[in-house]
Amino acid sequence: MTHLISARDLRASYSGKVALDGVSFDIEEGASFALLGPNGAGKTTLINILCTLHRPDSGSVSVAGHDALRYPRRARRNIGVVFQTSSLDDRLTARENLEFHGLVHGLPGRRRETRIRQVLELVGLEEWEDDVVRTFSGGMRRRLEIARALMHEPKILFLDEPTVGLDAQTRQQIWQYLDRLRREWSLTVLTTTHYIEEVEDADVVCIIDHGKIIAQGSPERLKGEYGRRWLQVDTIDAATLEDVQARFPEAQVIGVRSIVVPAESADPEMFRKGTFEGKIMEVRHREPTLESVFLSLTGRELRDRADPGKVANGRGERR
Amino acid sequence: MSEFAVLLRGVYGVWLREIMRATRDRGQLIGGVSRPLIWLLILGVGLNPYFRGEVYGQVNYVIPYTYLQFLFPAVIVLNIMYTSIQFAVSVIWDREFGFLREVLVSPMPRSMILLGKVLGGATVATLHGCLVLLLARFADVTMGVDQIAMAIGLMFMLSFGLTSFGILLAARVRSFEGFGVFSNTLILPLYFTSSSVFPLDPSLSRTQAVTSYPEWLVFLVRANPITYAVDALRGVLINFHQFPPTAGLAVIAGMCVLFFAAALWDFNRS
Repeated sequence: MTHLISARDLRASYSGKVALDGVSFDIEEGASFALLGPNGAGKTTLINILCTLHRPDSGSVSVAGHDALRYPRRARRNIGVVFQTSSLDDRLTARENLEFHGLVHGLPGRRRETRIRQVLELVGLEEWEDDVVRTFSGGMRRRLEIARALMHEPKILFLDEPTVGLDAQTRQQIWQYLDRLRREWSLTVLTTTHYIEEVEDADVVCIIDHGKIIAQGSPERLKGEYGRRWLQVDTIDAATLEDVQARFPEAQVIGVRSIVVPAESADPEMFRKGTFEGKIMEVRHREPTLESVFLSLTGRELRDRADPGKVANGRGERR
Repeated sequence: MSEFAVLLRGVYGVWLREIMRATRDRGQLIGGVSRPLIWLLILGVGLNPYFRGEVYGQVNYVIPYTYLQFLFPAVIVLNIMYTSIQFAVSVIWDREFGFLREVLVSPMPRSMILLGKVLGGATVATLHGCLVLLLARFADVTMGVDQIAMAIGLMFMLSFGLTSFGILLAARVRSFEGFGVFSNTLILPLYFTSSSVFPLDPSLSRTQAVTSYPEWLVFLVRANPITYAVDALRGVLINFHQFPPTAGLAVIAGMCVLFFAAALWDFNRS
């Protein structure tokens, strides 16, 4: 067995609407695997299936060698989950939440004690162990949830949008903890996100849209394969935008007055002279980024960005 | 590490969380203490003389207990009903605030999760019932150790059945507000038609013999399962039965099995 997780042809629907339309992938042991896609792409449904909370209509999932659909309890022993929204009991203290987790995972007393100390240290919450979770900030809660998901030493950690709703600094901190986990504990991590700059460091990025995987590979490979160089053109009004669109059939509108044109079919000078002279605010090159990969593949921009200014250099931001 | 020990630990974990939450919930505790005080010390003491017919200047009751003694076991049941059925709020809370998922992704089977939860809720409800037992002296109820043990056993079974019932309700209620209405239109009617505040047989005393209850009320009382729970507890505490002694035990045990099975069926389906 080389794959820690294997999913084959997963299909799921909610009240007639297709959420997953034939999804297959493998996750290698020790890898960091990122599921990238806009809201509603099917990421959460996929996570729910992987952690056995939702049964797919068809397909198969194996987790650490166990058929997760037939033996969900065996699969669950091997996974730790951090949900998109908090699943802590905020009327209990940090320690009590961890103690509960240890008990329902069947850890004996001394083992619980050791693990509680280890995971609290990992996320730097030792000082607050006896504080009621209600008093915690969003970032502290998320850290505690990560700590809790690791209590029973799972082989793989699922994180569904682990940084959503957190400020930039806290997001960075969360990623630092996750980096440390991968380095020190050589843990396999699956994250979903719609913040594109957060997947630059992943070993494998899997782009999902409308319930289908549309591309899969390392960020470098994806950029090389699908990343087109684009020219972004910001026009002064909507009418000009339409003119540009009419002239370049492959152009894609990305904003009220913004449009991108494939770099090979246009020259920036074209927009500075002639028909468009004086009607263009700015023309700039866009290097292949995962953003442009997504754009090439789907014809859309990922709507929600963590921080628009930092899209191109996500890697640098986090270190 | 045996599978059994692991399961037991899990059930203990779920149980313990319910106990810890209950000890931190001031509101529930205040309700559990004030309710018996109001019912026994105000209603009980206030109605005590009427029940015995002493208002006519002549004591003409036929059965040797007072209204306070008659009411005492019913107030225990009332306290248990409130706490058990309001336990559903804890279940809704878990569902709405996401904690349920934390338990569902653990390796515990759902039946054990439910068992832990019901045991936890039942323990809290039984303790609230025991708060009433502390007032026995004021109600002139004297109990031996064996009576106390038997009463607590019955109280725990009743709590178990009603907590399961609360969980069944919770699965059908979408919000907290909805539940508040539900519990008030359910708990008090069930309580009043359980022969809790008046005996079913009006000829207990000569004064009461002249009045007779309308048939629909008698029917409601007989159809209400809580009637038999109250009756069983009265049998143990003041040695008074309106029904065969085993009827109460059978009804309570039936509620436990039926409601727990239904709650489990619900939980496995969701």
